[in-house]
Amino acid sequence: MLEVNNLNTCYDFLHVLWDVSLVINEGEYVCLIGPNGAGKSTVLKSIAGLIEIKSGEIFFKGISIGDKKGDQICRMGISLVSEEMNLFTGMTVMENLSMGAYTIRGKKKKEALMNFVFELFPRLAERRIQLAGTLSGGERKMLAIGRSLMSDPSLLLVDEPSLGLAPRVVDTVFQALEVLNKKGVTIFLVEQNVTKTLQVVDRGYVLERGKIVLEGSRVELSRNEHIRKIYLGV
Amino acid sequence: MKKFQDRIGLSMPGLLFGVFLLLLPWFPPFNKEYILRWLIAALIVGASAIAFDFSGGFIAVINFGFMGFFGLGAYTSALLAIRFHLSPWLTIFIGALSPAILGLLSGLVSLRLRGMMILCFTWFVGLALMGLATKLVFLTRGSLGLPCPTLYKTASNVPYYYTILGMMFVTYLVMKLVIQSHYGLAFRAIGQNMEAARTSGINPLKFRVVNFILACAFAGWIGGFYAHYYGVLTPDLMSTAKTTEVLVIAYIGGRGSLWGGAVAAVPFVFAMEVIRSVLSDMPGLNLIIYGLFLIFVMLYYPGGLAEGYRKIVAKLRVKEIAQH
Repeated sequence: MLEVNNLNTCYDFLHVLWDVSLVINEGEYVCLIGPNGAGKSTVLKSIAGLIEIKSGEIFFKGISIGDKKGDQICRMGISLVSEEMNLFTGMTVMENLSMGAYTIRGKKKKEALMNFVFELFPRLAERRIQLAGTLSGGERKMLAIGRSLMSDPSLLLVDEPSLGLAPRVVDTVFQALEVLNKKGVTIFLVEQNVTKTLQVVDRGYVLERGKIVLEGSRVELSRNEHIRKIYLGV
Repeated sequence: MKKFQDRIGLSMPGLLFGVFLLLLPWFPPFNKEYILRWLIAALIVGASAIAFDFSGGFIAVINFGFMGFFGLGAYTSALLAIRFHLSPWLTIFIGALSPAILGLLSGLVSLRLRGMMILCFTWFVGLALMGLATKLVFLTRGSLGLPCPTLYKTASNVPYYYTILGMMFVTYLVMKLVIQSHYGLAFRAIGQNMEAARTSGINPLKFRVVNFILACAFAGWIGGFYAHYYGVLTPDLMSTAKTTEVLVIAYIGGRGSLWGGAVAAVPFVFAMEVIRSVLSDMPGLNLIIYGLFLIFVMLYYPGGLAEGYRKIVAKLRVKEIAQH
């Protein structure tokens, strides 16, 4: 479904990603793990079209999207979930969700999507007329995911959903992602919480200093000596 | 009908305010001609503040050259009326096209910029327009002033008062309807978080340019009224000080409310005229008061009048619920 070949990305003169290649198949739940500053979020932003890539190719459903802008990529069915990028803090929960469904035509479909989001996160339904800026950290995360779902994406890019959340809330968020994956949404997850991540995903990539250093199935990664030592601390 | 009322945000206080403005010229001291002139000046600023807020309050683009676009509409309308002997009623609409086109062009260039850079760019466009109006003497007569035909043949101010009142209402109505449509949601989204708007599949440039064209067209339209009311145009009508006047009114009224500027305009312009005539031996002091007032509002009451109104309504509603 998504194929990234030799992706290079720079912030001005700072070369962040070096020949990153990865493949995500339809219906898969894939993670990208790695230390702080490795360039994980940059991978997601490159795919979502929020930053220009220097070289390399990105294919989504066989179509090259490397030179497309963020709004076009969103219309093709890729949705990015990241807290700082996804919320309109001065709008209510409902308005945020409506914004997510901006590209969706048809009132019925919008309503169905909204009901699905409220079913997934009942907390949001309670807070529907509250301003997004006044939500708690966990609720914001739920809203960010909900907003992305409103565009009915086939690929969900999720950036650090557990960042700054209490363990119990982290569970809620991870459960929601699993439900989505079971429903057929392909998920590409970037996470720091490796223990938790390796319990849920199918496959994973490890990014260090802008390069993919390891890849493998969940079992392979959990057994890998390097992962165990650096990321799991056993 | 009820639904339409909701869409244009017409509430009981709003209706009362409209009726108040409609009846105002019939009561002393407002039935005096010189006070009516003040009122008309206030309504021109009020209508401009609505158009200004359409950009400033929603897509968060402060058009610091607002009065440049306003003046462009005024001069275009006046010149068309003089050179081609067209009726001013026609030319104020044609006149609105030129700032709209300039709005499109500068929108395409400037809206790729962000924050402070847009402000500077629109400011320079405004200054450039004022410079052109001063230097193109063969066309505009520069600072000598360009006399132009008036809308009505009468010396009374009453018909002008109702005309500008109607124009202010139309400006509000059109902008409110756009804001209530799905365009409005996109405007606010772009104003709040451009990256997030992009990840929602919105092309920010398109919406910002549409917003800019509409705001500039209305600025020019109101500018046309200005020309054919005062009957003379000078380049200093496009000065930054005049833009600041509109900006202050729009901010006191409340950003993102549209109606705030219209409500704030009458009392504020009135107060300013009083201050100016009382302190007539100290010219420029009124501008200092403007500045101080703006700083005060931005620091302590960024929501302006509209925010205050919302709070009162919310409080009343709480009381109502508590009583039941």
